[in-house]
Amino acid sequence: MSTDRYSRQSFLGASAEAMISRCTIGIVGLGGGGSHIVQQLAHIGFQRFVLYDDDVVEESNLNRLIGATSADVLAETPKLHIAKMMIYGLQPAASVRGFACKWQEKPEPLRECQIVFGCVDSYKGREELEIACRRYLMHYIDIGMDVYGKERPVIGGQVILSSPGGLCMRCMGFLTDDKLAQEAALYGNAGHHPQVVWPNGVLASTAVGLAVDLVTNWTCRGRSHAYLVYDGNDATVKESITLRNIKIGTCSHFSDSDVGDPILVEL
Amino acid sequence: MEYSKEELEELKHYCTKLSLLPEGGVNFIYMEGLRLPAGCTPSVCDALLCPVPKDGYPSRLYLSTEVKSPYTQNWNVRNFRIGEKNWFAFSRRIELANPTLAQVLVAHLTGFTRDK
Amino acid sequence: MSTEIKLSGGLHAEIMHDLTRTHPFAAERVGFVFGRMGSHGRLILLNRFHSIPDDQYVDDPAVGARIGEEALTWAMQAVYQCRPTREGIFHIHLHGHKGEPQMSRVDSHEIPRLLPGFQSMDRDAAHGIIILSLDHGSGWVWLPGDKGPCQVDSINIIGVPIGVFEQEEKR
Repeated sequence: MSTDRYSRQSFLGASAEAMISRCTIGIVGLGGGGSHIVQQLAHIGFQRFVLYDDDVVEESNLNRLIGATSADVLAETPKLHIAKMMIYGLQPAASVRGFACKWQEKPEPLRECQIVFGCVDSYKGREELEIACRRYLMHYIDIGMDVYGKERPVIGGQVILSSPGGLCMRCMGFLTDDKLAQEAALYGNAGHHPQVVWPNGVLASTAVGLAVDLVTNWTCRGRSHAYLVYDGNDATVKESITLRNIKIGTCSHFSDSDVGDPILVEL
Repeated sequence: MEYSKEELEELKHYCTKLSLLPEGGVNFIYMEGLRLPAGCTPSVCDALLCPVPKDGYPSRLYLSTEVKSPYTQNWNVRNFRIGEKNWFAFSRRIELANPTLAQVLVAHLTGFTRDK
Repeated sequence: MSTEIKLSGGLHAEIMHDLTRTHPFAAERVGFVFGRMGSHGRLILLNRFHSIPDDQYVDDPAVGARIGEEALTWAMQAVYQCRPTREGIFHIHLHGHKGEPQMSRVDSHEIPRLLPGFQSMDRDAAHGIIILSLDHGSGWVWLPGDKGPCQVDSINIIGVPIGVFEQEEKR
Protein backbone atom coordinates (compact mmCIF):
# COMPACT_ATOMS: atom_id res chain seq x y z
CA MET A 1 0.00 0.00 0.00
CA SER A 2 1.21 3.50 -0.77
CA THR A 3 2.44 5.34 2.25
CA ASP A 4 0.87 8.55 0.88
CA ARG A 5 -2.63 7.15 0.82
CA TYR A 6 -2.84 6.58 4.54
CA SER A 7 -0.57 9.37 5.71
CA ARG A 8 -3.55 11.27 7.12
CA GLN A 9 -4.51 8.39 9.38
CA SER A 10 -1.07 7.90 10.87
CA PHE A 11 -2.49 8.86 14.28
CA LEU A 12 -3.98 5.35 14.36
CA GLY A 13 -0.51 4.01 15.11
CA ALA A 14 2.56 2.86 13.27
CA SER A 15 1.25 -0.69 12.87
CA ALA A 16 -2.29 0.35 12.00
CA GLU A 17 -2.03 -0.23 8.26
CA ALA A 18 -0.70 -3.73 8.74
CA MET A 19 -3.28 -4.55 11.41
CA ILE A 20 -6.12 -3.22 9.27
CA SER A 21 -4.96 -5.13 6.22
CA ARG A 22 -4.88 -8.44 8.12
CA CYS A 23 -8.43 -8.22 9.50
CA THR A 24 -11.30 -10.04 7.88
CA ILE A 25 -14.57 -8.12 8.06
CA GLY A 26 -18.01 -9.60 7.57
CA ILE A 27 -20.91 -7.41 6.50
CA VAL A 28 -24.39 -8.87 6.55
CA GLY A 29 -26.76 -6.64 4.62
CA LEU A 30 -25.48 -4.31 1.91
CA GLY A 31 -28.35 -1.86 1.87
CA GLY A 32 -28.55 1.64 3.22
CA GLY A 33 -26.31 1.01 6.22
CA GLY A 34 -24.09 -1.71 4.83
CA SER A 35 -23.21 0.21 1.68
CA HIS A 36 -21.86 3.12 3.74
CA ILE A 37 -19.82 0.70 5.83
CA VAL A 38 -18.34 -1.01 2.78
CA GLN A 39 -17.30 2.33 1.31
CA GLN A 40 -15.65 3.57 4.47
CA LEU A 41 -13.82 0.34 5.23
CA ALA A 42 -12.43 0.29 1.71
CA HIS A 43 -11.22 3.87 2.06
CA ILE A 44 -9.53 3.11 5.35
CA GLY A 45 -7.59 0.20 3.89
CA PHE A 46 -9.35 -3.00 4.90
CA GLN A 47 -8.49 -5.74 2.44
CA ARG A 48 -10.45 -8.81 3.44
CA PHE A 49 -14.21 -8.94 3.21
CA VAL A 50 -17.00 -11.48 3.56
CA LEU A 51 -20.26 -10.02 2.25
CA TYR A 52 -23.85 -11.22 2.25
CA ASP A 53 -26.91 -9.81 0.50
CA ASP A 54 -29.43 -11.58 -1.69
CA ASP A 55 -31.18 -8.48 -2.97
CA VAL A 56 -30.98 -6.38 -6.14
CA VAL A 57 -31.11 -2.62 -6.53
CA GLU A 58 -34.62 -1.17 -6.80
CA GLU A 59 -35.85 2.34 -7.46
CA SER A 60 -36.72 2.86 -3.81
CA ASN A 61 -33.09 2.13 -2.83
CA LEU A 62 -31.67 5.08 -4.76
CA ASN A 63 -32.41 7.54 -1.99
CA ARG A 64 -29.74 5.87 0.16
CA LEU A 65 -27.79 3.01 -1.38
CA ILE A 66 -24.20 4.22 -1.66
CA GLY A 67 -22.72 3.38 -5.04
CA ALA A 68 -25.99 2.54 -6.78
CA THR A 69 -27.17 4.44 -9.86
CA SER A 70 -30.31 4.60 -11.99
CA ALA A 71 -28.67 2.21 -14.44
CA ASP A 72 -28.44 -0.36 -11.66
CA VAL A 73 -32.19 -0.27 -11.21
CA LEU A 74 -32.74 -1.02 -14.88
CA ALA A 75 -30.10 -3.72 -14.81
CA GLU A 76 -31.36 -5.20 -11.51
CA THR A 77 -27.79 -5.14 -10.28
CA PRO A 78 -27.25 -7.22 -7.16
CA LYS A 79 -26.36 -5.12 -4.13
CA LEU A 80 -23.46 -7.51 -3.67
CA HIS A 81 -22.05 -6.36 -6.99
CA ILE A 82 -22.33 -2.69 -5.99
CA ALA A 83 -20.37 -3.46 -2.83
CA LYS A 84 -17.70 -5.43 -4.66
CA MET A 85 -17.15 -2.68 -7.21
CA MET A 86 -16.89 -0.14 -4.40
CA ILE A 87 -14.20 -2.19 -2.71
CA TYR A 88 -12.22 -3.08 -5.83
CA GLY A 89 -12.31 0.53 -7.00
CA LEU A 90 -10.35 1.51 -3.91
CA GLN A 91 -8.53 -1.73 -3.11
CA PRO A 92 -7.80 -3.63 -6.32
CA ALA A 93 -5.93 -6.33 -4.41
CA ALA A 94 -8.68 -6.89 -1.88
CA SER A 95 -9.95 -10.37 -1.13
CA VAL A 96 -13.74 -10.21 -1.33
CA ARG A 97 -15.87 -13.28 -0.76
CA GLY A 98 -19.43 -12.36 -1.64
CA PHE A 99 -22.57 -14.42 -1.25
CA ALA A 100 -25.86 -13.46 -2.89
CA CYS A 101 -27.83 -15.33 -0.29
CA LYS A 102 -28.81 -15.14 3.34
CA TRP A 103 -25.83 -15.72 5.59
CA GLN A 104 -27.64 -18.61 7.24
CA GLU A 105 -27.50 -20.48 3.95
CA LYS A 106 -23.69 -20.28 3.82
CA PRO A 107 -22.54 -19.53 7.36
CA GLU A 108 -19.02 -20.97 7.27
CA PRO A 109 -17.19 -18.05 5.61
CA LEU A 110 -18.59 -15.61 8.15
CA ARG A 111 -16.95 -17.55 10.97
CA GLU A 112 -13.50 -16.66 9.67
CA CYS A 113 -14.06 -12.97 10.37
CA GLN A 114 -12.79 -11.04 13.34
CA ILE A 115 -15.50 -8.39 13.08
CA VAL A 116 -19.04 -8.73 11.75
CA PHE A 117 -21.27 -5.79 10.93
CA GLY A 118 -24.97 -6.57 11.17
CA CYS A 119 -27.02 -4.30 8.92
CA VAL A 120 -30.25 -6.25 9.08
CA ASP A 121 -33.76 -5.09 9.67
CA SER A 122 -35.17 -7.38 12.34
CA TYR A 123 -34.51 -8.07 16.00
CA LYS A 124 -34.53 -11.78 15.27
CA GLY A 125 -31.92 -11.30 12.58
CA ARG A 126 -29.74 -9.42 15.03
CA GLU A 127 -30.17 -12.05 17.69
CA GLU A 128 -29.12 -14.79 15.29
CA LEU A 129 -26.05 -12.90 14.18
CA GLU A 130 -24.99 -12.19 17.74
CA ILE A 131 -25.37 -15.84 18.67
CA ALA A 132 -23.19 -16.86 15.72
CA CYS A 133 -20.60 -14.25 16.66
CA ARG A 134 -20.42 -15.50 20.23
CA ARG A 135 -20.21 -19.09 19.11
CA TYR A 136 -17.42 -18.45 16.62
CA LEU A 137 -15.68 -15.64 18.49
CA MET A 138 -16.23 -12.48 16.49
CA HIS A 139 -16.84 -8.90 17.53
CA TYR A 140 -20.38 -7.98 16.49
CA ILE A 141 -21.30 -4.42 15.53
CA ASP A 142 -24.97 -3.75 14.90
CA ILE A 143 -26.54 -0.74 13.29
CA GLY A 144 -30.14 0.13 12.60
CA MET A 145 -32.47 3.07 12.17
CA ASP A 146 -36.17 3.71 12.10
CA VAL A 147 -38.59 6.60 11.80
CA TYR A 148 -41.43 6.66 14.32
CA GLY A 149 -44.68 8.50 14.20
CA LYS A 150 -46.50 10.03 11.25
CA GLU A 151 -47.64 13.38 12.61
CA ARG A 152 -44.27 14.36 14.09
CA PRO A 153 -41.66 11.91 12.80
CA VAL A 154 -38.80 10.96 15.04
CA ILE A 155 -35.64 9.45 13.63
CA GLY A 156 -33.95 6.97 15.92
CA GLY A 157 -31.16 4.48 15.59
CA GLN A 158 -28.49 2.54 17.36
CA VAL A 159 -24.91 1.34 17.10
CA ILE A 160 -24.08 -1.58 19.33
CA LEU A 161 -20.85 -3.42 19.97
CA SER A 162 -21.13 -6.91 21.43
CA SER A 163 -17.83 -8.73 21.94
CA PRO A 164 -16.98 -12.22 23.15
CA GLY A 165 -16.66 -12.11 26.91
CA GLY A 166 -18.40 -8.76 27.11
CA LEU A 167 -21.97 -7.65 27.58
CA CYS A 168 -24.42 -8.84 24.95
CA MET A 169 -27.39 -7.08 23.40
CA ARG A 170 -29.68 -8.57 26.04
CA CYS A 171 -27.39 -7.48 28.86
CA MET A 172 -27.39 -3.97 27.42
CA GLY A 173 -31.17 -3.88 27.25
CA PHE A 174 -31.46 -3.64 23.49
CA LEU A 175 -32.78 -7.12 22.75
CA THR A 176 -35.74 -8.12 24.87
CA ASP A 177 -38.31 -10.89 24.70
CA ASP A 178 -41.03 -8.25 24.31
CA LYS A 179 -39.43 -6.78 21.21
CA LEU A 180 -38.94 -10.23 19.70
CA ALA A 181 -42.51 -11.19 20.53
CA GLN A 182 -43.96 -8.03 19.00
CA GLU A 183 -41.89 -8.59 15.90
CA ALA A 184 -43.02 -12.20 15.65
CA ALA A 185 -46.63 -11.09 15.96
CA LEU A 186 -46.16 -8.77 12.98
CA TYR A 187 -44.55 -11.41 10.80
CA GLY A 188 -45.47 -10.77 7.20
CA ASN A 189 -47.12 -7.48 8.03
CA ALA A 190 -44.08 -5.45 9.04
CA GLY A 191 -44.31 -3.22 5.98
CA HIS A 192 -41.51 -1.01 4.71
CA HIS A 193 -39.58 0.95 7.28
CA PRO A 194 -38.72 4.53 6.40
CA GLN A 195 -35.03 4.81 5.49
CA VAL A 196 -32.97 7.85 4.57
CA VAL A 197 -29.31 8.34 3.78
CA TRP A 198 -28.06 10.73 6.41
CA PRO A 199 -28.95 8.72 9.55
CA ASN A 200 -27.49 5.67 7.85
CA GLY A 201 -24.33 7.67 7.28
CA VAL A 202 -24.10 8.75 10.90
CA LEU A 203 -24.69 5.25 12.18
CA ALA A 204 -22.33 3.60 9.69
CA SER A 205 -19.57 6.10 10.41
CA THR A 206 -19.94 5.56 14.14
CA ALA A 207 -19.84 1.80 13.62
CA VAL A 208 -16.77 2.00 11.43
CA GLY A 209 -15.10 4.14 14.08
CA LEU A 210 -15.75 1.41 16.64
CA ALA A 211 -14.29 -1.17 14.28
CA VAL A 212 -11.12 0.80 13.64
CA ASP A 213 -10.69 1.17 17.38
CA LEU A 214 -11.14 -2.58 17.84
CA VAL A 215 -8.40 -3.22 15.31
CA THR A 216 -5.91 -0.56 16.41
CA ASN A 217 -6.99 0.46 19.93
CA TRP A 218 -5.95 3.98 18.96
CA THR A 219 -8.16 5.48 21.70
CA CYS A 220 -6.61 3.10 24.27
CA ARG A 221 -10.08 2.53 25.71
CA GLY A 222 -10.15 -1.22 25.18
CA ARG A 223 -13.91 -1.12 24.69
CA SER A 224 -15.65 -4.50 25.03
CA HIS A 225 -19.19 -3.25 24.52
CA ALA A 226 -21.07 -0.16 23.38
CA TYR A 227 -24.68 0.89 23.00
CA LEU A 228 -24.96 4.25 21.30
CA VAL A 229 -28.34 5.79 20.55
CA TYR A 230 -28.87 8.16 17.65
CA ASP A 231 -31.47 10.90 17.91
CA GLY A 232 -32.00 12.14 14.38
CA ASN A 233 -34.14 15.07 15.45
CA ASP A 234 -31.56 16.41 17.90
CA ALA A 235 -28.67 15.22 15.72
CA THR A 236 -26.93 13.51 18.61
CA VAL A 237 -25.30 10.18 19.31
CA LYS A 238 -25.17 9.32 22.98
CA GLU A 239 -24.61 6.33 25.20
CA SER A 240 -27.88 4.56 25.92
CA ILE A 241 -29.50 5.28 29.26
CA THR A 242 -30.05 1.54 29.79
CA LEU A 243 -26.29 1.06 29.74
CA ARG A 244 -25.78 3.67 32.42
CA ASN A 245 -28.27 1.93 34.69
CA ILE A 246 -26.96 -1.61 34.56
CA LYS A 247 -24.24 -3.01 36.74
CA ILE A 248 -21.28 -3.72 34.49
CA GLY A 249 -20.40 -7.33 35.07
CA THR A 250 -20.18 -10.48 33.03
CA CYS A 251 -22.70 -11.60 30.46
CA SER A 252 -25.25 -14.03 31.84
CA HIS A 253 -26.59 -15.06 28.43
CA PHE A 254 -23.50 -16.49 26.78
CA SER A 255 -21.06 -18.83 28.44
CA ASP A 256 -17.39 -19.27 27.55
CA SER A 257 -18.11 -22.92 26.95
CA ASP A 258 -20.69 -22.23 24.25
CA VAL A 259 -18.11 -21.88 21.50
CA GLY A 260 -17.58 -24.00 18.45
CA ASP A 261 -19.94 -26.20 16.54
CA PRO A 262 -22.97 -27.10 18.65
CA ILE A 263 -22.60 -30.30 20.58
CA LEU A 264 -25.69 -32.26 21.42
CA VAL A 265 -25.37 -33.85 24.81
CA GLU A 266 -27.41 -37.03 24.66
CA LEU A 267 -29.86 -37.38 27.52
CA MET B 1 -32.09 -24.86 33.72
CA GLU B 2 -32.12 -28.50 34.85
CA TYR B 3 -34.83 -30.83 33.65
CA SER B 4 -36.04 -33.75 35.77
CA LYS B 5 -34.86 -37.19 34.79
CA GLU B 6 -38.39 -38.58 34.86
CA GLU B 7 -39.71 -35.91 32.55
CA LEU B 8 -36.87 -36.44 30.10
CA GLU B 9 -37.48 -40.19 30.10
CA GLU B 10 -41.13 -39.53 29.30
CA LEU B 11 -40.13 -37.36 26.34
CA LYS B 12 -38.05 -40.16 24.89
CA HIS B 13 -41.25 -42.03 24.03
CA TYR B 14 -42.00 -39.44 21.36
CA CYS B 15 -38.74 -39.52 19.45
CA THR B 16 -35.74 -41.66 18.54
CA LYS B 17 -33.08 -39.63 20.35
CA LEU B 18 -33.10 -36.91 22.97
CA SER B 19 -30.28 -34.42 23.52
CA LEU B 20 -29.59 -31.09 25.14
CA LEU B 21 -28.59 -28.07 23.07
CA PRO B 22 -27.49 -25.08 25.12
CA GLU B 23 -27.47 -21.74 23.33
CA GLY B 24 -27.78 -18.12 24.33
CA GLY B 25 -28.67 -19.00 27.92
CA VAL B 26 -31.44 -21.44 26.92
CA ASN B 27 -31.26 -25.24 27.17
CA PHE B 28 -33.19 -26.48 24.17
CA ILE B 29 -34.27 -30.10 24.13
CA TYR B 30 -33.32 -31.61 20.79
CA MET B 31 -35.67 -34.37 19.70
CA GLU B 32 -34.47 -36.37 16.73
CA GLY B 33 -37.13 -38.28 14.85
CA LEU B 34 -40.15 -36.71 16.56
CA ARG B 35 -43.26 -38.57 15.50
CA LEU B 36 -45.92 -36.10 14.39
CA PRO B 37 -49.68 -36.66 14.69
CA ALA B 38 -51.58 -38.55 12.01
CA GLY B 39 -52.34 -36.43 9.00
CA CYS B 40 -49.07 -34.52 9.10
CA THR B 41 -46.63 -34.37 6.22
CA PRO B 42 -43.90 -35.29 6.88
CA SER B 43 -44.83 -37.74 9.58
CA VAL B 44 -41.46 -37.48 11.33
CA CYS B 45 -39.03 -34.61 11.74
CA ASP B 46 -36.49 -33.23 14.17
CA ALA B 47 -37.63 -30.76 16.79
CA LEU B 48 -36.36 -28.39 19.43
CA LEU B 49 -38.49 -28.03 22.51
CA CYS B 50 -38.04 -24.82 24.46
CA PRO B 51 -40.10 -25.28 27.61
CA VAL B 52 -39.23 -21.86 29.00
CA PRO B 53 -40.54 -18.44 27.90
CA LYS B 54 -39.04 -17.39 24.59
CA ASP B 55 -39.87 -14.62 22.13
CA GLY B 56 -43.05 -13.79 23.97
CA TYR B 57 -44.38 -17.35 24.22
CA PRO B 58 -44.53 -19.41 27.43
CA SER B 59 -42.92 -22.26 25.49
CA ARG B 60 -42.03 -23.02 21.90
CA LEU B 61 -41.72 -26.05 19.65
CA TYR B 62 -39.39 -25.57 16.68
CA LEU B 63 -39.43 -28.07 13.84
CA SER B 64 -36.80 -28.85 11.23
CA THR B 65 -39.32 -28.27 8.45
CA GLU B 66 -42.64 -26.62 7.85
CA VAL B 67 -45.30 -29.30 8.31
CA LYS B 68 -48.55 -29.71 6.38
CA SER B 69 -51.49 -30.73 8.55
CA PRO B 70 -55.29 -30.84 8.43
CA TYR B 71 -55.46 -27.47 10.20
CA THR B 72 -53.81 -24.34 8.85
CA GLN B 73 -51.08 -22.91 11.03
CA ASN B 74 -49.58 -19.47 11.26
CA TRP B 75 -45.91 -20.28 10.62
CA ASN B 76 -44.40 -17.15 12.09
CA VAL B 77 -40.96 -18.69 12.47
CA ARG B 78 -39.22 -19.56 9.24
CA ASN B 79 -35.51 -20.29 9.03
CA PHE B 80 -34.73 -19.17 12.57
CA ARG B 81 -31.21 -20.20 13.31
CA ILE B 82 -30.67 -22.22 16.48
CA GLY B 83 -27.72 -24.52 17.03
CA GLU B 84 -26.40 -23.68 13.55
CA LYS B 85 -29.50 -25.11 11.88
CA ASN B 86 -32.66 -23.51 10.54
CA TRP B 87 -35.98 -24.08 12.28
CA PHE B 88 -39.67 -23.42 11.79
CA ALA B 89 -42.46 -22.87 14.26
CA PHE B 90 -46.12 -21.96 14.18
CA SER B 91 -47.74 -19.59 16.57
CA ARG B 92 -49.25 -21.48 19.48
CA ARG B 93 -49.61 -20.16 23.00
CA ILE B 94 -49.70 -22.90 25.63
CA GLU B 95 -51.03 -21.87 29.01
CA LEU B 96 -50.81 -24.79 31.42
CA ALA B 97 -50.18 -24.79 35.15
CA ASN B 98 -46.88 -26.56 35.94
CA PRO B 99 -46.87 -28.82 32.90
CA THR B 100 -44.40 -31.65 32.44
CA LEU B 101 -42.16 -31.52 29.39
CA ALA B 102 -44.31 -34.14 27.66
CA GLN B 103 -47.45 -32.15 28.38
CA VAL B 104 -45.87 -29.09 26.79
CA LEU B 105 -44.86 -31.11 23.76
CA VAL B 106 -48.28 -32.70 23.34
CA ALA B 107 -50.00 -29.36 23.76
CA HIS B 108 -47.95 -27.95 20.88
CA LEU B 109 -48.51 -31.00 18.70
CA THR B 110 -52.25 -30.76 19.30
CA GLY B 111 -52.12 -27.69 17.13
CA PHE B 112 -51.82 -30.01 14.15
CA THR B 113 -54.92 -32.04 14.99
CA ARG B 114 -57.56 -29.60 16.10
CA ASP B 115 -58.71 -26.13 15.34
CA LYS B 116 -57.91 -23.40 17.88
CA MET C 1 -7.16 -28.44 5.31
CA SER C 2 -6.32 -24.97 6.62
CA THR C 3 -7.12 -24.23 10.23
CA GLU C 4 -7.25 -21.11 12.35
CA ILE C 5 -7.25 -20.72 16.09
CA LYS C 6 -9.39 -18.05 17.78
CA LEU C 7 -9.51 -16.93 21.37
CA SER C 8 -10.96 -13.95 23.15
CA GLY C 9 -8.81 -11.05 24.24
CA GLY C 10 -9.65 -11.84 27.84
CA LEU C 11 -8.44 -15.42 27.57
CA HIS C 12 -5.25 -14.33 25.79
CA ALA C 13 -4.57 -11.80 28.55
CA GLU C 14 -5.15 -14.46 31.21
CA ILE C 15 -2.74 -16.83 29.49
CA MET C 16 -0.05 -14.19 28.97
CA HIS C 17 -0.33 -13.03 32.55
CA ASP C 18 0.17 -16.55 33.80
CA LEU C 19 2.94 -17.58 31.43
CA THR C 20 4.99 -14.45 32.09
CA ARG C 21 5.07 -15.03 35.85
CA THR C 22 8.40 -16.18 37.17
CA HIS C 23 8.70 -19.70 38.50
CA PRO C 24 10.89 -20.66 41.45
CA PHE C 25 13.19 -22.77 39.27
CA ALA C 26 11.76 -23.27 35.74
CA ALA C 27 12.88 -20.80 33.09
CA GLU C 28 9.50 -20.97 31.39
CA ARG C 29 5.93 -21.69 32.34
CA VAL C 30 3.58 -24.13 30.67
CA GLY C 31 -0.17 -24.43 30.67
CA PHE C 32 -3.05 -26.18 29.02
CA VAL C 33 -5.75 -24.43 27.08
CA PHE C 34 -8.98 -26.05 25.99
CA GLY C 35 -11.02 -25.50 22.89
CA ARG C 36 -13.63 -26.83 20.53
CA MET C 37 -13.79 -27.18 16.81
CA GLY C 38 -15.79 -24.94 14.55
CA SER C 39 -16.76 -25.61 10.98
CA HIS C 40 -15.63 -29.21 11.41
CA GLY C 41 -12.04 -28.38 12.19
CA ARG C 42 -11.44 -25.29 10.08
CA LEU C 43 -11.58 -23.34 13.32
CA ILE C 44 -10.36 -24.09 16.82
CA LEU C 45 -12.10 -21.90 19.39
CA LEU C 46 -10.29 -21.75 22.71
CA ASN C 47 -12.39 -21.16 25.79
CA ARG C 48 -10.48 -21.80 29.02
CA PHE C 49 -6.99 -22.03 30.45
CA HIS C 50 -5.47 -24.22 33.12
CA SER C 51 -2.43 -22.89 34.90
CA ILE C 52 -0.06 -25.61 36.10
CA PRO C 53 0.70 -25.18 39.80
CA ASP C 54 4.30 -24.40 40.69
CA ASP C 55 4.76 -27.66 42.55
CA GLN C 56 3.85 -29.73 39.50
CA TYR C 57 7.01 -28.74 37.65
CA VAL C 58 10.13 -30.89 37.70
CA ASP C 59 13.46 -29.18 38.25
CA ASP C 60 15.37 -29.96 35.05
CA PRO C 61 18.02 -27.38 34.10
CA ALA C 62 18.43 -28.98 30.69
CA VAL C 63 15.07 -27.63 29.50
CA GLY C 64 13.08 -24.45 29.91
CA ALA C 65 10.27 -26.20 31.74
CA ARG C 66 9.33 -29.75 32.53
CA ILE C 67 6.00 -30.71 34.04
CA GLY C 68 5.60 -33.75 36.23
CA GLU C 69 3.32 -36.76 36.25
CA GLU C 70 0.68 -35.04 38.35
CA ALA C 71 0.21 -32.32 35.73
CA LEU C 72 0.08 -34.85 32.92
CA THR C 73 -2.38 -37.03 34.78
CA TRP C 74 -4.58 -34.02 35.39
CA ALA C 75 -4.48 -33.19 31.69
CA MET C 76 -5.42 -36.71 30.64
CA GLN C 77 -8.29 -36.81 33.08
CA ALA C 78 -9.49 -33.42 31.90
CA VAL C 79 -9.54 -34.60 28.30
CA TYR C 80 -11.48 -37.70 29.30
CA GLN C 81 -14.03 -35.68 31.24
CA CYS C 82 -14.52 -33.31 28.33
CA ARG C 83 -15.42 -36.06 25.89
CA PRO C 84 -19.17 -35.34 25.87
CA THR C 85 -18.54 -31.79 24.73
CA ARG C 86 -15.58 -32.65 22.45
CA GLU C 87 -13.30 -30.14 24.11
CA GLY C 88 -9.72 -30.69 23.02
CA ILE C 89 -6.54 -29.80 24.89
CA PHE C 90 -3.59 -27.70 23.76
CA HIS C 91 -0.20 -27.57 25.44
CA ILE C 92 0.75 -23.89 25.56
CA HIS C 93 3.86 -21.99 26.48
CA LEU C 94 5.59 -18.69 25.76
CA HIS C 95 8.81 -17.77 24.04
CA GLY C 96 10.01 -14.50 25.48
CA HIS C 97 10.80 -12.72 22.21
CA LYS C 98 8.83 -10.82 19.57
CA GLY C 99 7.88 -12.27 16.23
CA GLU C 100 6.58 -15.59 15.03
CA PRO C 101 7.66 -18.34 17.41
CA GLN C 102 8.88 -21.69 16.18
CA MET C 103 9.29 -24.93 18.02
CA SER C 104 12.70 -25.22 19.63
CA ARG C 105 14.63 -28.46 19.31
CA VAL C 106 13.39 -29.48 22.73
CA ASP C 107 9.82 -28.44 21.94
CA SER C 108 9.69 -30.52 18.78
CA HIS C 109 11.21 -33.51 20.54
CA GLU C 110 9.18 -33.44 23.72
CA ILE C 111 5.77 -31.91 23.24
CA PRO C 112 4.37 -33.91 20.31
CA ARG C 113 4.90 -37.05 22.39
CA LEU C 114 1.93 -35.98 24.49
CA LEU C 115 -0.47 -35.99 21.59
CA PRO C 116 -1.12 -39.69 21.10
CA GLY C 117 -2.13 -39.89 24.75
CA PHE C 118 -4.58 -37.02 24.37
CA GLN C 119 -5.97 -38.53 21.20
CA SER C 120 -6.47 -41.88 22.88
CA MET C 121 -8.49 -40.16 25.62
CA ASP C 122 -10.72 -38.42 23.11
CA ARG C 123 -10.53 -39.25 19.43
CA ASP C 124 -13.34 -36.89 18.47
CA ALA C 125 -11.70 -33.67 19.62
CA ALA C 126 -8.83 -31.66 18.18
CA HIS C 127 -5.70 -31.37 20.31
CA GLY C 128 -2.41 -29.64 19.77
CA ILE C 129 0.34 -27.29 20.68
CA ILE C 130 0.43 -23.51 20.86
CA ILE C 131 3.49 -21.38 21.33
CA LEU C 132 3.04 -17.68 21.99
CA SER C 133 5.59 -14.94 21.78
CA LEU C 134 5.30 -11.43 23.16
CA ASP C 135 3.42 -10.28 20.05
CA HIS C 136 2.73 -13.38 17.97
CA GLY C 137 1.83 -17.04 18.10
CA SER C 138 2.00 -20.34 16.29
CA GLY C 139 -0.07 -23.46 16.59
CA TRP C 140 -0.12 -27.05 15.52
CA VAL C 141 -3.37 -29.00 15.51
CA TRP C 142 -4.03 -32.72 15.42
CA LEU C 143 -7.54 -32.97 14.02
CA PRO C 144 -9.62 -36.08 14.81
CA GLY C 145 -8.22 -39.02 12.93
CA ASP C 146 -4.98 -37.26 11.95
CA LYS C 147 -1.73 -38.94 12.88
CA GLY C 148 0.28 -35.77 12.43
CA PRO C 149 -0.28 -32.07 12.93
CA CYS C 150 -1.13 -29.29 10.58
CA GLN C 151 0.32 -25.91 11.37
CA VAL C 152 -2.46 -23.37 11.77
CA ASP C 153 -2.66 -20.53 9.28
CA SER C 154 -3.25 -17.96 11.98
CA ILE C 155 -4.07 -17.35 15.59
CA ASN C 156 -6.72 -14.65 16.06
CA ILE C 157 -7.07 -12.72 19.29
CA ILE C 158 -10.58 -11.32 19.40
CA GLY C 159 -9.93 -8.53 21.85
CA VAL C 160 -8.81 -4.92 21.67
CA PRO C 161 -6.66 -4.54 19.69
CA ILE C 162 -7.50 -7.49 17.51
CA GLY C 163 -4.48 -9.70 16.93
CA VAL C 164 -4.06 -11.70 13.73
CA PHE C 165 -0.91 -13.79 14.02
CA GLU C 166 -0.39 -15.28 10.60
CA GLN C 167 2.02 -18.00 9.67
CA GLU C 168 4.79 -16.11 7.90
CA GLU C 169 5.12 -18.24 4.78
CA LYS C 170 1.36 -18.21 4.13
CA ARG C 171 1.12 -14.39 4.04
